[in-house]
Parts: sequence; C-alpha cells; structure tokens
Amino acid sequence: MHEFLTAGIIGISLGAQYALLALGFTLIFGILGVINFAHGGFYALGGYVAYAAVSQAGLPFPLAVLAAVVATAALGALYERFLIERLVDDHLATMMLTLGLYLVISTGLLAVFGPQSPEFSFPVQGTLRAGTLYLPLENLVVLAVCAAAIGALWLLIYRTDFGRALRALADDRKVATTQGMRPGLLFPLAFGLATGLAGLTGALVTPILALSPSAGDPVLVTSFLTVILGGLGSIAGAVVAAVIVGFVEAYASVYLGGSTGALILFVTVLVILLARPTGLFGREIRGA
Amino acid sequence: MEARSPSRWGAQEWAAVAMFLAVLAVPWATDDLLVQSIVNRVLIGAMAALSVFIMLRMDLLSFATPAFMALGGYAAVLLTMHGVTEVLLIVPASFLVPALVALPLGALVLRLRGVYFVLVTFVLTEILQLVLFMTPRLTGGADGLAGFPAPTLLGTELSDARSVLALAAAMALLAAVITAALTAHFRQHFAAIEENEVLAESLGLVVWRYKAMGFVVAAGIAGMAGFSLGNMLLTVHPTSFGAQQAVDTIVYAIIGGRGSILGPIAGASLLVTVSDFLGNQGQYAQGLFGLLLILVTLVARGGIAGAVAALARRLRAPRAAAGPAAAAPEAARGGA
Repeated sequence: MHEFLTAGIIGISLGAQYALLALGFTLIFGILGVINFAHGGFYALGGYVAYAAVSQAGLPFPLAVLAAVVATAALGALYERFLIERLVDDHLATMMLTLGLYLVISTGLLAVFGPQSPEFSFPVQGTLRAGTLYLPLENLVVLAVCAAAIGALWLLIYRTDFGRALRALADDRKVATTQGMRPGLLFPLAFGLATGLAGLTGALVTPILALSPSAGDPVLVTSFLTVILGGLGSIAGAVVAAVIVGFVEAYASVYLGGSTGALILFVTVLVILLARPTGLFGREIRGA
Repeated sequence: MEARSPSRWGAQEWAAVAMFLAVLAVPWATDDLLVQSIVNRVLIGAMAALSVFIMLRMDLLSFATPAFMALGGYAAVLLTMHGVTEVLLIVPASFLVPALVALPLGALVLRLRGVYFVLVTFVLTEILQLVLFMTPRLTGGADGLAGFPAPTLLGTELSDARSVLALAAAMALLAAVITAALTAHFRQHFAAIEENEVLAESLGLVVWRYKAMGFVVAAGIAGMAGFSLGNMLLTVHPTSFGAQQAVDTIVYAIIGGRGSILGPIAGASLLVTVSDFLGNQGQYAQGLFGLLLILVTLVARGGIAGAVAALARRLRAPRAAAGPAAAAPEAARGGA
C-alpha cells in the first residue's frame, strides 16, 4: 500500500511535467499544424539557461526559471516568425525546420556546456512527512508550479480574447483570418508560448532529473506519446493523457520493471494511431 | 504511342547504377583502411537513404528505416549463427524478412498520411528497439549479437576487410538497381500519389497497390543496409537502430535531394564523409546536419541534386536564349 501511494505521487508529479510539455506540443500542432521536433530542444535549453543564470549570473532560482521561460519563448517566437512562417502549410518543410533546429540546439548546448551533466540541484531540499509517507519537497514544488501553469494556460486559452483568437485559428484559419485574426502576429506568439512552456518545464525539472545536451530526446518521445494518446491538438486530452502516461510510467517501473511500461504505452499509442488517430479524448482538430 | 516510355530509365538511374558499379573496384584499388571504412559507411548510409527516398517519392516521410534495418540485420546474423553463411541466401533473407513484415504492416500504416504517418513510423522504430532490448534469448537483448561466423560466398569466407567492403558494394549496387527499377517503372504512379493522392485514386489509380509496393521494397532495401551494417561492425545491437539513425537517413535523403535517385546517394556520400573528417569533433556533425537541413528547406528544396540540376539548366540556358526559340522553355514550363 505504501509503495502504491509513493508510486502514485511520483506518477502525478511526472504527469504534471508531461502535461506542460504536451500542452505546448499540442498547441503548436493544433494552431499551426506543425509537428515541433525541437520541443525537447527547448526543454534542454530551458534547463541550461536556468543553470547558467544560477551558476554564472548568481540569480536566485525563481528568477533563473523566469529567464529560461523568456529565453525559450523568445527563441521560439522568432524562429516561427522568420523561418517557419514562410512554409507553415508545408508539413514536410516545417518538420525539417524544427528537426534542424533541434539538432542545432543540442549541438550548441554540447559545444557551450560540454557533454558532462553540470552540477545543478533543486534549491528546495528535504521531505515532508505525512503519516508513514515521505514526500520529497522538490517534487511537491514542481507539482504546484506545473499545476499553476496549467491553470493559467487554461484561463489564457478559454477566458481571454487572445485564447479565443488562437482557438479560432485552430478551428478554421481562413474564416478566422477573414474575421480579423492575424496569423502573422498570433502564430509567433502561440509558438513562443508553447516553447516557453517547454523551457519552463526544463528549468523546473532538470535540477531534479538530469541536465545534458541530449536531455530533450526522451522529452520529444514522451510528448509524442502523450499528444497522440490525448488527441493531436486537443488541450484537455493532453492533460488527461499526460497524467495517464505519468501513472503508467511510475507504476510500471515499480511493479513491472524494465521497459515493459514503455512498451505498453508505445503499443497502445500505435493501436490508437491506427484505429483512432484523433486520440482517446480528441476530435479531429486538423487534417494531416 | 510510347506506352512503355514511363518505365524507361533516365540518365539519373543509369548514373546511380554506374556509380555503384565503379565502387565495386574500390576494395581492390586501395588498401587504405580509413578510405575503406568511409566508403563502407557511405554505402550503408546510401542504402538506408534510398529506402527513405522511395517513401519520399510517395510524399511519405518514414522514421521506420532503422526498424527495417534491424529486422534485416538480425535476420541475417541469426542465420549465420544457425549455420547458414552463404551470402546468396542471407542477402536475400535480409531483404525478404523486413519486406514480408512490411506487407501486413503496410496494410495498417499506409492508410495514414502526413504527420500521422511520420508519428506512426517513429513509434514503430521505438517499439522495435524496445522489443530488441526485451528479447535477450533471441536477439541478445542489451548485449546485441556478436561473434557470429563470417558470411561465405560459395564456400569462400568473406572475412577480410576487402571482402567485407566488396560485399557492401555489391549489396549497395543491388539496392540501387532495385530502387532505380521501382522508381522508374512507377515514376508516374508515384508522382500522381505525391501530387494528389485523392485525385489519383478518383482517376482510377489503385493507390494502395503502389504504396504497398514502395513500402515493401523500401523495407527490404533498409534490411540489406542493416545486414551490411552488422557485417561491418561485426555486431548487431539495438542502439544501432534507433531514432537517431532515422534522423540521419532522413537528413541524407533530404539534403541530397528527394527529387532524384542521385540525391540520397550524394547526401550520404557527402555527410558521412564530412562527419568522418570532423573526427574527434564528430558530435558536432549533428549541428552541421541541422544547419544544412534548415538551409536546404529554406533555399534549395531540391537538395544537392536539385541545386546541381538547376545550375546545369542555368548554364545551358544562355545558349538556348541566343536562338530564336528563346520563348520555348517558358512556354513549356507554363504548360507543365
């Protein structure tokens, strides 16, 4: 029982991280129709910016996280505005542009920071005791920040004019454009918002997990899994699917061991892709 | 009138096959182990890139090449470990095993297009890699398979560096011939599918048949590349067949140019050689690939092969413009 609860807490904490990543990924696909292969790159970049801000500039951790968000959001928005924008309707071209960016980011991090994982630890240490359960504080902080970010994003998407405009563009770009939405402005903002979320996750999570130039590889795979499970482009689906993926990963590592959990997830996703490409909870937002 | 002309080989197909024929001489032309090693890796990269090229002809971007490479590589190596070392048997096996897997698989995944096809092939590669790790009895799991007997040709052992390279060159030649035959024979069918699949289908093209054929052959060629890789490294290991390799082969095909069979060959030749010359800085090759990928996507959609063809056209153009038929190329382009 004890083991079960501990795994559950790890699962929900993983789920919250995955949700932030998947939300960014699914926003970009839903609104622009672009598969962002560089998503993991923005995650790793966020981690390194936060690390550099703490270790080189001596900033306190919360400000370092903020710096990571700003840097990744700005890079994402600029890359969309000046490169992706030109070919936004060509799915092969945008995949190549984001894949190229990912290779450049991870090689750049390697060149600047070297292959070793830097010493970067979470500023809050210690455990919270609840009955017989020991909860690592760092996980609770991450969980709280992720939950707050998801809540804020939900408000932004569903309760503001900006969010309404984004959803309109996702629904039908032509109609939205004739109604006065400006893709030229909104696409870079949406892209920057999404990459900023990836940077936020990276800055928060890499001090707990590990920071390395290739830290983005598993992130990209997990984002793929999550958004397919939840339905490409679906926001609620991404959150639910992220929690499922987090739980499966946590419980499988305790009770099944090895890569069985990953295999189950991948095969599930394969079946979903073949039988119901809109995902468990999604409707088809956008044709491929 | 010229009903059979579509299946005729163009200059590019002949050039591709001639290049691989010439490479057959390399094992005897040089004893330099570095050159032999680079050529061997170029050949493997080119085979894998040809597999990606076939799929790109139908506007499908496949991340599944490493999965089929693994199937071909493991199948061939397992055969040698069970006493079948004759290359005339194991090379066909390395083609057929992935091709036979691709046939039913194609029925499932070829219904998907665009990004969904990309994602499903990405997932396939991840799944196969996990399966390789999780089946140590059959595939050696995380240890891979090593120490298998060298392949033989009619009883002669092909174990020295020269015969390993010669075998790789022969397989690459075979892969080029198969790719050239397939893409030339179905040039118009593939072009119709690439252009507009729904329209092609409504005009009576049995799209499914050509896509399945392309998928099966692409899988088989990837399988030969997988065996060639295992034969060079003297081991097959799950980490040789992951997403990283999928990205590399796609990069070869796209940077080389997806419009011509010479593209993937040029891309693999250039990029494998460049990453080799980076030597100790080999890890930076990925960054270079990334920059080139962005550059090609933005300014030279035809890749190296497309840029060379455009350059050749431009060099020839002034002569044409001098004549009275200067307007003809414009008219031809407008009518195309």
